[in-house]
Amino acid sequence: MSGPGLEAWLGLAGVMFAIGLYGVLTRRNLLAIVVSVELMANAANVNLVAFSKFGGHPSGQATALFALALTVAEVVVGLALIILVARSRKDLHADGLQELKG
Amino acid sequence: MTPLLLAAVPVVLPFACFLLLGVVWPLRHTGRPAALLSSLVAVVSFLAALFAWEGAPGAGEPALTLTQAWLVHEGVPLAEVGLRLDAVSASMLVVVTFVAACVQVYSLGYMADEPRPALGRYYAWHSLFVVAMSGLVLAPNLLQLLAAWELVGLCSYLLIGYYWTRPSAGKAAVKAVWVTRFADIGLMSGVVLLYAQTGSFDWSAEASPWVAALLFCGVMGKSAQVPLHVWLPDAMEGPTPVSALLHAATMVAAGVYLVVRAWPIFAAAPDVLLVMAWVGGVTAVVAAVTATVQTDIKKVLAYSTCSQLGYMVAGLGSGEMLGGYFHLTTHAFFKALLFLAAGSIIHAVHSNELKDMGGLWSRTRFTGALFILGSLALAGLPGLAGFFSKDLILEELFHAGLYGPLALCLVAAALTPFYMARVVCMAFFGRPSPGAEHAHESPSVMLAPMMLLAVPAVVAGYGGYTFALSLGLDYHFALTPVGIAATALGLGGIAVGVARYGFGRLEGIDLPGVARFVRSGPMDAAWTAGWRSVFLPVAGVVGWVDRYVVDGLVNLFGWGALVLGDGLRGLQTGRVRDYLYAVAVGAVVLAAWGVVGGAS
Repeated sequence: MSGPGLEAWLGLAGVMFAIGLYGVLTRRNLLAIVVSVELMANAANVNLVAFSKFGGHPSGQATALFALALTVAEVVVGLALIILVARSRKDLHADGLQELKG
Repeated sequence: MTPLLLAAVPVVLPFACFLLLGVVWPLRHTGRPAALLSSLVAVVSFLAALFAWEGAPGAGEPALTLTQAWLVHEGVPLAEVGLRLDAVSASMLVVVTFVAACVQVYSLGYMADEPRPALGRYYAWHSLFVVAMSGLVLAPNLLQLLAAWELVGLCSYLLIGYYWTRPSAGKAAVKAVWVTRFADIGLMSGVVLLYAQTGSFDWSAEASPWVAALLFCGVMGKSAQVPLHVWLPDAMEGPTPVSALLHAATMVAAGVYLVVRAWPIFAAAPDVLLVMAWVGGVTAVVAAVTATVQTDIKKVLAYSTCSQLGYMVAGLGSGEMLGGYFHLTTHAFFKALLFLAAGSIIHAVHSNELKDMGGLWSRTRFTGALFILGSLALAGLPGLAGFFSKDLILEELFHAGLYGPLALCLVAAALTPFYMARVVCMAFFGRPSPGAEHAHESPSVMLAPMMLLAVPAVVAGYGGYTFALSLGLDYHFALTPVGIAATALGLGGIAVGVARYGFGRLEGIDLPGVARFVRSGPMDAAWTAGWRSVFLPVAGVVGWVDRYVVDGLVNLFGWGALVLGDGLRGLQTGRVRDYLYAVAVGAVVLAAWGVVGGAS
C-alpha cells in the first residue's frame, strides 16, 4: 500500500477543520459562513474515510457517503434560508440578523 | 332481605333520588313530581329502617357491619367506611327516617304555593339530608361520622337559606355555618387527636379525656349549647318543616347522638361529664327563660329545643347514657309535632308573630288539639312521652349526686310548661287578631303527618323499658320524690302560665325586666364584642404573617428569578457569531477537559 499515511490524512482533516472554523468565526457573509461550515463537515468525512482505510473496516466509508448525502440536504435548507434572508433584507451581512436577541 | 341491606336503603335510595333531582333538571323544575318522588323515597326509607330495626342485633350481640377499606396505604387502610347497624344506630335511624318522611309529606301541603323550580330544589336538599343523616347514624367510626356531620351542616345551611331572596335568611344560614364551624374546630381536633393516640377512629378505642373534651366542643355547636346556641333561633328563617326536621328533631340532636355513639370515650372522662352536666343544665335554664318572652312562635320553639337539648346533655353528663338518648327520641317526636303544628298555624295566618294569632282554637281545631298535645308532651304531663324521658334524666342526675345541674333542670322543668302555656293561650285563645279572623284549617296532607307524629308523642314513653333493654341497660319507671317534684313544678308552670296569659290580657304582661334584657340580644352582643376584640386582632396578626412572611417568601423567589433573568439576558446578543464563538470556546474547553481528564 502506497501513498500518505494516516497521520497525513488526519493532518489534512485538522487543517480543513481549522480553516472552516476560522472562516465561520471571522466571515460576515452568510454564504461564506455556509461554505466554511461545509469545509468543517468535510474535514470530518476525511477523518471517517481515513480511519476506514487504515482500520480495514468499510463501514466508515459508508458512513461518509451517508454524511455527504445529509450534507447536501443541509446545504439545500441553508441556501434556501439565505435566499429568503437576501430577499427580505437585500443584504447577507450576518451581524445584521439580531432580531432574536433577549 | 337482611337487616343490613334494609339499613342501606335510607342511604342509597335518597341518594339516588338526590342525584336524579340534581341532574335531571326537567324533573326538578316541574316541582310537584320531584316532591312526590322524594316523599315516596322518604316513606320507603322509613319502612326499610323500621324492618331493619326489627332485625337489628340486640345488646351484647355483635353489630352488623358492611364496610369498605378507605385510603389503603401499604396494605393498611386509614379507616373503614360503610354501615354499622346495632341497637343504638337502628333506633336512631327509625326516628330520623320517620320524622323525615312525615316532614316531607307535610311539605307537600305547606310548600304547595312555592314556585316549581324552588320546590324541586327544596326536595333535592331534603333527599340529600336523609342521606347525610342516615350516613351519620350508621357511621362505623368517627371519621365517617365527621364527614356526615359536615354534610348535614351543609344541608342545614342550604335549607335555612331556602328563601334566599330575604337577606335575613342568607345571614342566618351563614351564621349557622360560622358558629357550628367554630365549634367543629374542637371536633376535628378531637378526631385527629383520637387517631394520633389510638391509631384508629373507633369509638371503643382507649382515648384520653382530652379527646372527649374536644369532641364535646363540636357537640356544643351542633346541639346548640350555651353559649354556642345563638345560631339556632336565627335558623328559624328556614321553612317551618325544615325547622321541624333539622333544627328540632334530628340534626341538632346529632351532637347528642355523637356522645351516645362515642360513649366509651366519654364514659372514661368523668371531668368532661361533669362539665357536660353543668353546660346542659345552664343551657336548659337560659334557653327556657329566653323562650318565655319571645314574640315569634318559632323562636319560642327554637329556644325550647335548645333547652331540651340542654336536658339531654345534662342527662348524659350524669354518666348514664340512657336518659339523654331516650329524651332525644321522645323529643324528636313531640318537637317535630309542635313545629309542624306551628307551621300549620303560620300557614293559616301568614305570620310567625304571636300577636297576629289568637282565637285560633275555633278555626283550626285539629291543629290546635295537636299543638296542645305536643305542648303537654313537652311539658312533661304524666303519661305522655316527655314525662318519662325527662323524669329519667332527673333521676340520673339525682343518683349521680349532681344537685346543681339537677336544680337547674328542675327550674327548666317549671319554665317549660309556663312558656308553652303562654304560646297556647296567645295563639289559640283570647281575642283573634285581624289576620286570624280568616284563618282556615290546613289540608289533610299536612294534618296526617302531624297525627302520625302525635302517636309516638303520646306512647313513646312507654317504650322505655324495651328501648333500654335493646341497649343492654336496665330501666324501670318508679315515681320518686324527684319525679313528683318535677311533675308538681310542671303542673304549677302550666297553672301559672294559664293564669297569666289565659284571660285575654296579652299586651305587656311578659316579665318586664327579662323581656327587655332578652330582647336586647345579650348573647349576640357578647359574641359580636368578642369577635371585634379577640377574633379580628388575632385574624389581623395571622393575616399579616400570611401576607408578609408566607407570601413574602414566595414573592422573594419570584423576584430572584426575575433579577437573575435580567442579568442573564445580556448574554443573548442575537448575533450568530457570538453564539458560534461560545460553541467553539465550549468545544475547546471540553476537548481540553477530555485530555486532562484522560490523563488523570
